[in-house]
Amino acid sequence: MNSLRRSFGPILSLVIVVLVGVWVIGMIVGPQLIMVEQSLWNKEIGGDAAMNSTRIDRLYNEVDTLGFDISDAEALAESPKRTEKIATITAEIDAKKSTIKELEAVEIKPEKIYSFKNYTLMGASHFFIFVKTIGAAVAVTIIAFIVCYPIAFTVAKVATPGKAALIMLFLIIPYSINELLRVFAWLMILDNNGVANLLLGFMGFDPISFLGSGAGVFIAMIYAYILFMVFPIYNTVETLDSSQIEAARDMGAPTWQIHRKIVIPHAKPGIAVGCIMTFMLSAGSFAVPNIMTRGIAEPWFTQLIYNKFFESSNWNVGSAYAFTLVIACIVFIFMMMRFFGVGIKDIAK
Amino acid sequence: MRGMDIELRDVSIRFGGFTAVHPTNLKIKAGEFFSILGPSGCGKTTILRMVSGFLNPTSGDVLIGGKSMAGIGPDKRPTALIFQSLALFPLMTVRENVAFGLEMRGMAKGPRSDKAQELLDLVALGDQGEKTPDELSGGQRQRVAIARALAVEPAVLLLDEPLSALDLKLRQHMRSELRDIQRKTGVTFIYITHDQGEALTMSDRIAVMKAGVIEQVDTTDLVYNAPSTAFTATFVGANNMFKGKIKEVSSDGAVIDTKYGLLRGTNPKNLSVGSEAILFVRPEKMTVQSGGKKSDNAIDVKYERRDLEGAFVNLHFLQDGDKFSVHQTNVNLKSHEKGESCTIGFDSKAGMILATGELADE
Ligand SMILES: Nc1ncnc2c1ncn2[C@@H]1O[C@H](COP(=O)(O)OP(=O)(O)OP(=O)(O)O)[C@@H](O)[C@H]1O
Ligand SMILES: [Mg+2]
Repeated sequence: MNSLRRSFGPILSLVIVVLVGVWVIGMIVGPQLIMVEQSLWNKEIGGDAAMNSTRIDRLYNEVDTLGFDISDAEALAESPKRTEKIATITAEIDAKKSTIKELEAVEIKPEKIYSFKNYTLMGASHFFIFVKTIGAAVAVTIIAFIVCYPIAFTVAKVATPGKAALIMLFLIIPYSINELLRVFAWLMILDNNGVANLLLGFMGFDPISFLGSGAGVFIAMIYAYILFMVFPIYNTVETLDSSQIEAARDMGAPTWQIHRKIVIPHAKPGIAVGCIMTFMLSAGSFAVPNIMTRGIAEPWFTQLIYNKFFESSNWNVGSAYAFTLVIACIVFIFMMMRFFGVGIKDIAK
Repeated sequence: MRGMDIELRDVSIRFGGFTAVHPTNLKIKAGEFFSILGPSGCGKTTILRMVSGFLNPTSGDVLIGGKSMAGIGPDKRPTALIFQSLALFPLMTVRENVAFGLEMRGMAKGPRSDKAQELLDLVALGDQGEKTPDELSGGQRQRVAIARALAVEPAVLLLDEPLSALDLKLRQHMRSELRDIQRKTGVTFIYITHDQGEALTMSDRIAVMKAGVIEQVDTTDLVYNAPSTAFTATFVGANNMFKGKIKEVSSDGAVIDTKYGLLRGTNPKNLSVGSEAILFVRPEKMTVQSGGKKSDNAIDVKYERRDLEGAFVNLHFLQDGDKFSVHQTNVNLKSHEKGESCTIGFDSKAGMILATGELADE
């Protein structure tokens, strides 16, 4: 706090503190708390009250239908029969309206009931998708690590500066294109009639349903989040003194031992950050699975959350689902930090 | 452990269009403390990296123990390199650092740890094994690097200016310690430095290098007392210089015509009459003349100032923009006034006449 004041002066540091405070409370803590609150209550509608509201709904429907009947009748030619018909329908509507009034008068507004009930509502099939999503995100993270570590190491330590810049450029250029477009590109490649299957066809193989098997989601996700793995690893490997690698080699260490004993221990904080980011992004990704599964493959858990919110209109259960995912991600972060033996401080570096 | 001999046969290396080391022939004996001395950027590290296998020579062959090292990587050579930056592993303890090479060779944990302890005792760090390198002082880190390199029982230890990061006191202490370790182990040491004092105190033999070329390879005595080029004469130790043309050559030396008159000195390179040459005289072989006592060679100069070193004193003189210095023991020292006219001189056996050439800039 004092150092902040020393570098920016009292007014500017106050502004900074207030802005950060507003941002943290308004954008992070606030919405999360609202979500948690939502997830903890539900409105119980049962017994007579439920019957009552269904009756009201039905009567409203009937009134609407009768409205159509009136229009039909009015379309007929002028005759006493027509006048009579309109009169009976109008009477009927009035009767129903008054019943509605009566019923609405006794309708009980349901109350918020606080409980953990929303968290217990997840059925076996949804829980299975939750577990599968977490598992798949872990798998994406591992594969992304296997793909990215050699790239990061090459760029940081092996390639000449010119080549390293070129590789980085090739990695970054696609990221200047909208994420959706990139994912759609994969869709075109991996579709059943897509480029990949076209090539396989030329080579005489049967087409593979990349999308149906869920492999498409994997591939697109690894591609979408590769930079978030490459950069943190690259940053830490870059700081490793190359002569340590040479010293290890000089003392007879084979390549894999150099990585195991020297490079990876040094790059641990970067690897942890990369894994955490990739995991969070892929577990929480909505666009990629939405585009790549499109109902062909099983949905991602985020799609279930979306459905709860906007298709079942059940914000309470939706919040519970979302918060469950948040908890899973936090647990994963702590597991990764334990696993790599790094603290918050190392990661912040 | 036993040292092995090393031979460079016509070894040269080019980086792009730049020749970092010109074709070089060099033989280093087994068990020798050999130094490569030269100014920054002359290619010392490059030679060392070719011997250790991190660089491949563009031409020629490196032989260790009589065997060609072509196509053999650093991990398979009987050499160990101590880096300019030491390159200790910061995340491992001192003991793990020392035991690293043994672990890579598949030695079991027990014997490995015993061997590491033995080496730590050798470098007087027996009780520091559980610390990490950054908990040690500069000199201690230095010794860990030596112990780590010795652990793999190399026949040749390559040291790249390992003392350059230490302060003067520690550096002097480490010199004798390195020399001790070399005697105890019998390993061939190739020691790189741009500090001539370091090279002179520690080495058996020295190679003086300049811009990718080895100028002279000799024992320390010969490098100091009988430099073969003007560069060596000025790079190793201080020298007074008199430029001129050779006037006369005889069996016991030559006479050179300088702006201070005719001066007489030895002619080790048998330069012929008329060639451009420089006469070098070490400051400790110069004397200040008093009264009628005259040397073979006498030069009139003006007294400038003195640097007292305790037991010794350096007297500085000026004449025609040339600087001269005389190194004396601090006995019966006469005091002079600034600007006072003096005569300095030297015995003609103390003057070395060498061909004009590039000088080491101080
Ligand atoms: N990989 C390389 N590519 C291009 N030039 C290089 C390379 N390595 C060394 N050089 C050049 O070769 C020359 C010798 O370098 P080297 O590192 O051997 O010098 P040095 O004698 O060890 O100097 P110092 O005392 O400063 O360490 C330098 O001019 C350097 O720029
Ligand atoms: Mg060097």
